[in-house]
Amino acid sequence: MNKIMYLEFERCIGCRACQAACRECGDHDAKERNFVEHVDFMESRQTFPMMCMQCKDPACARVCPANAIQITEEGVVLSASDEKCIGCRNCTFGCPFGIPKFDFEENKMYKCDMCYDRSKHDIAPMCASVCPSDAIRFIDFDEMQSLRRRRTQMNLVEGKKPTEQDKWKYVPEFFGVYSD
Amino acid sequence: MQKLERSFYSKASMYSFFVVMILILSMWLGTGQFVHVDMMLFGYLIGSLVFAIGITLRMVSWSLRPATHQMLKRSFSNLRNRERKKRNISSIIKTAIDNIILQKFIFKRGIYRGVTHWLIAWGCIGSFAITFGLTFGWMHFSLIDPETYQIIVMGVPTITMAAHGLFAEMVYNGLNITAMMVLIGVLMALIRRTTSPDVKVTQRTEFDLVPLYILLTVTVTGLVLTLSYAVLDGWMHNYLSLIHQITVVLFLVYFPFGKLFHLPIRPMTTAVPMNYQEHLQVDTRACKRCETLYSNDDQIADVKEILGAQSFDLQLSDGTYLSDYCPACRRRMRVMKQMNLESQHKNPYAPIQTMTDVQVPGFGKHRADSYYEKKDKGDKNHE
Amino acid sequence: MSEFISKPGVKNLQRDGEKLITTHCSYCGMQCGMHIRVSERTGEIKGVEPRYDWPVTLGKLCPKGVTAYQQIDHPDRIKRPLIKKNGEFIESSWDEALSLIERKFTELQEKHGKDSLSVFGGVSMTNEKCYLVGKYARVALGTRFIDYNGRFCMSSAAGGFNQTFGLDRGSTLPWTELEHSDCFLIAGSNTAECHPTSIQMFWKARDKGAKMIVVDPRETPTARIADVHLDLKPGTDSALANGLLHLIIKEGYVDQEYVDERCNNYEELKASVEAFTPDHTASLTGVDKEKIIKAAHIFGQSPRSVVMFARGVEQQSKGVDNVTLYSALALLRGQIGKFASGVATFTGQGNGQGGREHGQKSDLLPGYRKLTDPEAVKYISKVWGIEPEEMPKPGVSAYEMFDEIHNGTIKAMHVICSNPAVSSPNVEYAWEAFKKLDFLVVNDFFLSETAEFADVVLPTTTWAEDEGTTTNLEGRVIRIRKAIEPLHESKPDWEIFGEIAKRLGKGKHFNYKNPREIFEEFRIATKGGKADYSGITYERIDKEDGVFWPCPSEDHPGTPTIFKDKFSTPDGKANLPAVAWKEPGEIPTKEFPLRLTTGRVVYHYLSGNQTRRIDFLMEQCPVPYAEMHPELASQYNMRDGEMIKLSTPRSSMELEVKLTKATRNDIVFVPYHWGKELSVNKLTNPSLDPISRMPEFKVCSAKIEKL
Repeated sequence: MNKIMYLEFERCIGCRACQAACRECGDHDAKERNFVEHVDFMESRQTFPMMCMQCKDPACARVCPANAIQITEEGVVLSASDEKCIGCRNCTFGCPFGIPKFDFEENKMYKCDMCYDRSKHDIAPMCASVCPSDAIRFIDFDEMQSLRRRRTQMNLVEGKKPTEQDKWKYVPEFFGVYSD
Repeated sequence: MQKLERSFYSKASMYSFFVVMILILSMWLGTGQFVHVDMMLFGYLIGSLVFAIGITLRMVSWSLRPATHQMLKRSFSNLRNRERKKRNISSIIKTAIDNIILQKFIFKRGIYRGVTHWLIAWGCIGSFAITFGLTFGWMHFSLIDPETYQIIVMGVPTITMAAHGLFAEMVYNGLNITAMMVLIGVLMALIRRTTSPDVKVTQRTEFDLVPLYILLTVTVTGLVLTLSYAVLDGWMHNYLSLIHQITVVLFLVYFPFGKLFHLPIRPMTTAVPMNYQEHLQVDTRACKRCETLYSNDDQIADVKEILGAQSFDLQLSDGTYLSDYCPACRRRMRVMKQMNLESQHKNPYAPIQTMTDVQVPGFGKHRADSYYEKKDKGDKNHE
Repeated sequence: MSEFISKPGVKNLQRDGEKLITTHCSYCGMQCGMHIRVSERTGEIKGVEPRYDWPVTLGKLCPKGVTAYQQIDHPDRIKRPLIKKNGEFIESSWDEALSLIERKFTELQEKHGKDSLSVFGGVSMTNEKCYLVGKYARVALGTRFIDYNGRFCMSSAAGGFNQTFGLDRGSTLPWTELEHSDCFLIAGSNTAECHPTSIQMFWKARDKGAKMIVVDPRETPTARIADVHLDLKPGTDSALANGLLHLIIKEGYVDQEYVDERCNNYEELKASVEAFTPDHTASLTGVDKEKIIKAAHIFGQSPRSVVMFARGVEQQSKGVDNVTLYSALALLRGQIGKFASGVATFTGQGNGQGGREHGQKSDLLPGYRKLTDPEAVKYISKVWGIEPEEMPKPGVSAYEMFDEIHNGTIKAMHVICSNPAVSSPNVEYAWEAFKKLDFLVVNDFFLSETAEFADVVLPTTTWAEDEGTTTNLEGRVIRIRKAIEPLHESKPDWEIFGEIAKRLGKGKHFNYKNPREIFEEFRIATKGGKADYSGITYERIDKEDGVFWPCPSEDHPGTPTIFKDKFSTPDGKANLPAVAWKEPGEIPTKEFPLRLTTGRVVYHYLSGNQTRRIDFLMEQCPVPYAEMHPELASQYNMRDGEMIKLSTPRSSMELEVKLTKATRNDIVFVPYHWGKELSVNKLTNPSLDPISRMPEFKVCSAKIEKL
C-alpha cells in the first residue's frame, strides 16, 4: 500500500458524508468510526474531520491490558479483537487524539481501520472517496509530501512554526502507513 | 523469592517448572501413588503437560506487559482492600454470571453469534474438565457393587450412583455431550465465517479458521470413536482412538498459542467494575477543559503510568497530560493547535477567523495582486 | 446493455455475489454519479459504491447521497394503493383505486367542466416522467390547471434568464471548467450545505489562487472561506447587485467591446445604477462600504469569473430582478460564452433543469415551447395526436392553484412527486385548500404530509426501480438506471398515467412499454424547440458521459458552453436590466421587528419526505431550530438550547434556539424541511414575484418571544 490518508481541516464543510460513508464499509457494522465536529459552533462554522492516525507505535495498543489491538502487515491499526477486548476503555483514554469509540452494549472498542477491505486493494476508503471538499484524501506518498511542504512553508510565512519534536502538539496532518 | 527466581532463566520458566511439579504431585495423590494411571491416556498426559507449560508461559509474559501488569497490580491491591470488599464481591459475581457464564455481551452482538460462542465455550470448558480430570487421575470411577458406581475425586470417595441411572448415563456421556455442543458451535461459526462478507474483511485463515478446524477434527474423531464402540462393536477402535488422541494432543499444544488463548484471560474483565466503573457508563472524572465527565481518577492514573512506563511523552506545556482531557477535547485541541485558532479574537461580535489571511492555509498558493491588476480582458486568456 | 460502466484503470470494490449498477443520486441537481450494489442472488439493494470516473463529481457524495439507497427498500414504503375511508387509509387493489379515480374524475368533469381537475407536478423525477405529466394533464385530463413545484424553486432563475438571454439553461458553462476560473461571485447559495459535491470545484480553483465573493446573510461554510463575505440583510440583493454594477461601471471594469457587440440596453442600465453609490448601497443592504468596494475590485479585475446564485436571491418577490442584475454583472465583464466563466444557478431539484423544460409549467409545452404560440401548439398537438383546438389554454402558477381551490374553480387535484403541504409558503393556506378539495390523488412512495390529505394514494417506485434520463444543473442529460424491479405493488408514474388515461378513454396516447419509448417521443416533441433533445440517445449518454442540450441532431456534439456567439433572444443580444430599488414584500415593523429567512441543512432534502426517514440523517438533524446571533438572543434574554416562540403575521411556532456568531445580528434562520407543527412555511410570506410567480420564502418580518 503506497497510498496514505491526508487531512486538511480547513477544507471541511461539515457535511458528515464521511461518517455516513463510514457506516457503509465492510465490517463497520453500520457504526461510524470517524468524527466530524465543530471547533466551536458559537464562534464559527469551522468543522473538522478526525480519524485514526494509524500510529506506528500506537498508544492505544500499548495501554490495552488484553493486548487486543493488532496491527496488520500494511500498518493498519485494527479495532480491538472481539475475543480479547475486556471493555476497560484504556485505549480511549490513552489515545492522544481521542479516537477509539466504545460500544457499551457489545462491550468492545471499535475504531477506524481505513476501510481495510478497500485500502488493502489500494481502493480509497469510503470517507476519502466521498468527501466532497477533499478535506480527507487518499493520495500517493509523494503527493502528500509536496502538500505538506507547501503547508509548512505557508505556516512559516504566517509565523506558525511548530517546535521541534513537539509531536503531540503539532501532529503532521497525515496518517496511514507512514508516520514520523 | 528473588533468589529463587535467579536460579531460573526467567519468571516464566520458574512458574512453568512449578506448575509441572504441582500437576505431577496432584496426579500422584489422585491416583493413589500412580496405581490408577491409565496407560491408554499417556498421550493425553504428555499433551496436557505441554498445554500447562504453554499456558503458564503465555500468562506470565502477558502479565509482564506494562498495561496488563498495571491492571493486575491495581486489581490485587483492591482485592486486599477491606473497604472495597462489597464492591469486589459484587464485581466478581456480576462478571462471572454476565460475562463468563451467560456471555451476555456476545448475545448483544447477535443471537446467532451468542449461541455459537456459548456452545463452543462451554463445550470446550466441559471437555477440558473431564479430560484433565481423567488424565491426571484426579477423578475415577470405582464399582462398589454390580449396580453402583462411585466417583473418586483426588482419592476421596464422593457420590455413588446407579450404574444405569440417568445421572450415570450423563456422566459417562459427558464428553459426548460437550463434544456435540462444540460440534454444533463450530459448524455455526464456520458457516458465519464463510458466508458473511463483513467477517471476511479482517479474517485471517491461520488465526481465525485453524482453531475451528482443529476443534472440528477433535470433536468429529471423538464422536466417531463413541459411535464405533456403541454401534459398530468397536470397529477400528484402536486406530480411531489413536487418531483422536493425536487430534487432542494437537489441540492441547495449539491452545495456549492461538486465538483460543483468550479464554484464560477473560476473567480479567472483573477488573473493569472492580477498579474503574462501579456502574457501567457512570463516569466520575471531569475533563480539565470542558468539565464533561468522561472517566474516573484511578483509570486515568493507570493510563498515565502505563504510558509513562513506555516512554510516551503526552505531557503538555502547562503540565497536564492529554489523558486529563475528554476525547472530544483532545480532538479539538489538536485541530485548534494546527489551525492556529487558540489565541485570536479581534472582534468579539464577529465569528472567529478560521482564515488567517486572505488565503486559507492549505489552500494552494498566494496569488500576487498584480495578477488581478493586469488590465487584459478575459477573452485574451481564453485557452 | 451493460448496467455497470467504468473507465479503464478505475478500481471499484466489487464484492463477491454482488453487481454494481451505474446510476446517479436521487436528490439534488448535482446528480452525483454512483453505483448501487445489488445482490446477484436475491436482487436486494446492498449499498452504494462511489463512481470515481463520473467527470462532474468524481465519486464524491454528500451524506444524503451516501444513504440514498436506503430509501429503496425502506419499511415506510407504501406497498399497495391506499383509499381513504372514514378518515383512514385502507389498502386496496390497483383496480379498485383506479376505478375510484376514473369515477371521481369523470363525475367532476361532467359536473364542473374540464378545468375542475388539476395536476401538481414535481421535478425530482426523470425527463420521461416530467414530460408525461404535462401530456397527462393536457391530453388525458384535458385541464389547463397544471403547474409544478419548480415554482417554489427555480422559476425566478428561469424568468430572469429568459428575460436576459432569451433562454433558460441553468449554467452557461460545464462545471468541470469551474476549477479554472479566477473569481466566483456566489449569491444566496449555501452551496457547501445544499450542493456539497460542488464545493470540490471551488476548492480546486482556490488551490490555484481563485478568489471568492459570497453574498449571504449568514456566514455559511462557503462564506467562511470567502475573500469577501457580503453579509447583506435578507431581501436586499437587488440593491447590492446594483451597487456592484455601479462600481464596475465607475471603475472602468466594463468590457465595452463585448457590451457594445452583444448587449442591449446598456445606457439604461448605466442610468439606473447611477444612484447606487457605495454609501447608498451600504445603507440599503447593511454591508460595510469597504467590503462592497473590495468585492467590486476583485470581481472587476478577475480575468475570468463566474457569477452564481441560488434560492437565496430567487425566492424573493423580486427574484427575477435579482437574477437579471446578477447576470448583468457577468455580461458587463464580458464573461458569458467563454472558457471557465459565465453565469450559473444551482438547480435545487434532481431534475430541476430537465423537468422545467418539458411542459409541466402552466404556460409551457415540451422543449420550452410557449403555450401561447400557435405554431408550438400545432406542432405538439401533432406529436401527441390531438387536434390543436383540444390543447388547453395556459393555467395558473402553483401557489395560485390554491387560490383557485379556495375560489371553487379547482375541485380535484393529482399531486405527483411533490409535497406542497410542506414546501408551499403560508402552508396553512395550502392545508385548507387540500381539505376543501373534493378529491385528491397523490403519487408517492412514502406517505408524505400531502398524501395524508389525499383520498387515494398511489404507490410509485423510487428512482432506482425505473430507468430514464435526467438533466443535471449544467444542462447535461444523463442516465438513471434501473437497479431492481419495482418493490411491492408499486408502479412507475408513467405506467400510472397510462392506466388512468386508458380508463378516461385516452389510452391510445399513452401506449408505452418502457421509458425508452417515451424518450423517443419526447425527442421528437423537443425537436426544433429551444431545449432541443432530439440528438440525444441513451447510447450517446453512456458513451459521452452525458450530452449537453441543445443537441439538435445525432451528429451534433451537444452544447457544453452556450451563448458562445449569440444569445437566444430574437436579435441575438442579451438584454441588460434597469431595475430601481424595491423593498421586499414585507419589511420589519414595530410589531415584527426582525427578518426571518429560511433555508436548508445538509442532512435534509427539500420537504424532507425522503430524508426524514433515513436514520443517519435524522440522527444528525432531527428537528428545526432558530439560528441567531448571541447579541440578538441576549436582547430577549434567550439562551442556547432554549425553546422560543417565533411568529410572523401569518402564524407562529415553537423552536429551539441555536446561537452562533456566524450570522447577522438582526435575522433569524430556520430550516424548512419539516411538516405540520414543525413547518416554518406556516410563517413564510406568499408574496409572489410579478413575473415568475415565485413566492418570497427568503424574507419576511418576524418577532421572537421567550416561552
